[in-house]
Amino acid sequence: MVLPPNLSQAEFDTALSEFEAVVGTDWVFSSDADVALYRDSYSPFWGEEEERIASAAVAPDSVEEVQEIVRIANRYKIPLYPISTGRNLTYGGAAPTLSGSVVLDLKRMDRIIEVNDKRNYALVEPGVSYFDLFNYIQEHDLNVMLDIPDPGWGSPMGNSLDHGVGYTMGSYRDHFGSHCGLEIVTAEGELIRTGAGAIPDSDAWQDFHYGAGPSIDGLFAQSNFGVVTKMGVKLMPMPETYMTCTVTVPRYQDFQAMVEEVNYLEDSFLVGMPSYGSPVGGGLFDPTSLEGLMQNGWPTIEQLEEFVTAQNKHAWSVTFQLYGPEEIVRATWTAVQRRFNDKIPGAAFQDGDFYTLPIPAEDIPALPDKARLGIPNLEIFHIVNRNPMNDNDPPDGHADMFTMTPRTAEGVHTAARVLAEAYQELGFPAATHPFSTPLMFYSRAMVVAVLIPTWRDPAKNAASRALYERCLDKIAEQGMGTYRTNPAFQELAISKYSFNDNALLKYQEKLKDSIDPNGIISPGRYGIWPANMRNNRG
Amino acid sequence: MNKLTILCFFLTSFVATTVQAQDLSPEQASGKVVFDKWCEPCHGRVAGGLFGGLGANALPGTSALGVKYKGDLPAVLEDRTDLVPIYISTVVRNGLYGMPISRKTEVSDTDLDNIIAYLTRPH
Repeated sequence: MVLPPNLSQAEFDTALSEFEAVVGTDWVFSSDADVALYRDSYSPFWGEEEERIASAAVAPDSVEEVQEIVRIANRYKIPLYPISTGRNLTYGGAAPTLSGSVVLDLKRMDRIIEVNDKRNYALVEPGVSYFDLFNYIQEHDLNVMLDIPDPGWGSPMGNSLDHGVGYTMGSYRDHFGSHCGLEIVTAEGELIRTGAGAIPDSDAWQDFHYGAGPSIDGLFAQSNFGVVTKMGVKLMPMPETYMTCTVTVPRYQDFQAMVEEVNYLEDSFLVGMPSYGSPVGGGLFDPTSLEGLMQNGWPTIEQLEEFVTAQNKHAWSVTFQLYGPEEIVRATWTAVQRRFNDKIPGAAFQDGDFYTLPIPAEDIPALPDKARLGIPNLEIFHIVNRNPMNDNDPPDGHADMFTMTPRTAEGVHTAARVLAEAYQELGFPAATHPFSTPLMFYSRAMVVAVLIPTWRDPAKNAASRALYERCLDKIAEQGMGTYRTNPAFQELAISKYSFNDNALLKYQEKLKDSIDPNGIISPGRYGIWPANMRNNRG
Repeated sequence: MNKLTILCFFLTSFVATTVQAQDLSPEQASGKVVFDKWCEPCHGRVAGGLFGGLGANALPGTSALGVKYKGDLPAVLEDRTDLVPIYISTVVRNGLYGMPISRKTEVSDTDLDNIIAYLTRPH
């Protein structure tokens, strides 16, 4: 058994008894078998000394119980690690950042307090999953659409607080950006509400998220300043229709003009998430067709144009999602075609799917691309599960390496090039190539993604960790960082945000010392250590 | 026949069976409810697939088992007749490959017993 730092077994046993007095004996987990359920299934350190292991877990059912647990933790200076559904896989799952922490498992707090389809929001507790919220909306025949991440097993609150993202219109895809009001148990056990929720008995909590004065909501995302116990979620009114349509452009060098046009359309709120692709580039996760092209280093532009011409295909594609009344989405598609025709010679156009919404329940199971219609599912696991290509050695997990690039062709190409270099320098086949395309989860940033496998084999994990760290180093040399990562890499990722001698992190730690003087909430999360543990860094 | 075609063949060569609720004991019926919530989204029978058509023939867990067993065993868990309690509980509590650990706040011990009752029912 792992103990919390600086605590004897006897002291810990007493603390556990006090936790049991709050939540009941069934909801304090301290046996080795039960604590093992809080391991990170995808840990890059599985089975090694550095694997993050909890000392116990406690699962409250109410805000009042959370407050009591926080007060007990302060008395014993026990680190707590709050989780919502604990399904933040690739980013740590249910395991704490600091070994010996007690996981504060909020899964039992799974109440959907309100879904309002006239003012278009939901108010939920941490343990509510996207599946739960979707089912509630279906069962109550409510006229709103979710924006969901992949996979959909996580919680709206937990995903938002980890800066998670989705697939529909830009303002909804940024899940923290589309939250509306928080309820927080502070590190000292006080209860606060943000925005209009700070006005007693306000009916406008989910309508007005600023309130007056400084907004503190951002302090509770990817951080360790308190325990969020309720969150508002802005919801999109159910659109009347959904349509997809695709534009392709012929030349390698057309990508910049395509990106500029997509930026215009996104920033004008005319289209939902654009999906870039390359008809000559193979699949996102299957760059093998391009290995020959990269045999002698990164190709020149002339070589790339010749490669495209030889394939007799267009170089780039982008598929748009349009949401709204049928006459509007069809007119938008007409305008999109006119604008591309005006800007890029040879642009071609293809109609896609068209659905009247909402999708009938009986049609949902066989519906492709559920996530783009706000329907939670787990089908994204096709890209990492056992398949005919990895049948002999499927990975046990993955560590997602997301490079945030400027919204330019040059940004994407640079990220793809340095990531390919990182892979090749460490003896791996490149996972990116000159035709790698970005994901547009955030409407104002591009993401070049690689998924690095993790294993329950220390030697393989060591190689994966080295690769992940090399990728972080290489992108930082280009002025780029990542947006979210496993605790194993959080300090390195944060160290890249070092402007002015790490002034940002120093400021965050000043806040930490004031807000959480005993350092009990998630020590070390995203590199923020409390004063009494700052020597843990590194 | 390429690998993908072989996979599709395996996944479609099993005759779907419909579970009738009245045929189930109370434990098995409860187990089916838990299975449908926690297992079916990956191990169920009907898939839609991803952007570009990947996975249109089977859900990810079903697809993975189709690749693994190559027709020697059904890819759909509910069609299996060889599952034993210790195997089911070990996989649920330890995870397996991409399938993560399930905690007791998600799938309680009673839930797990009921899933076992459902998946090991005579059929």
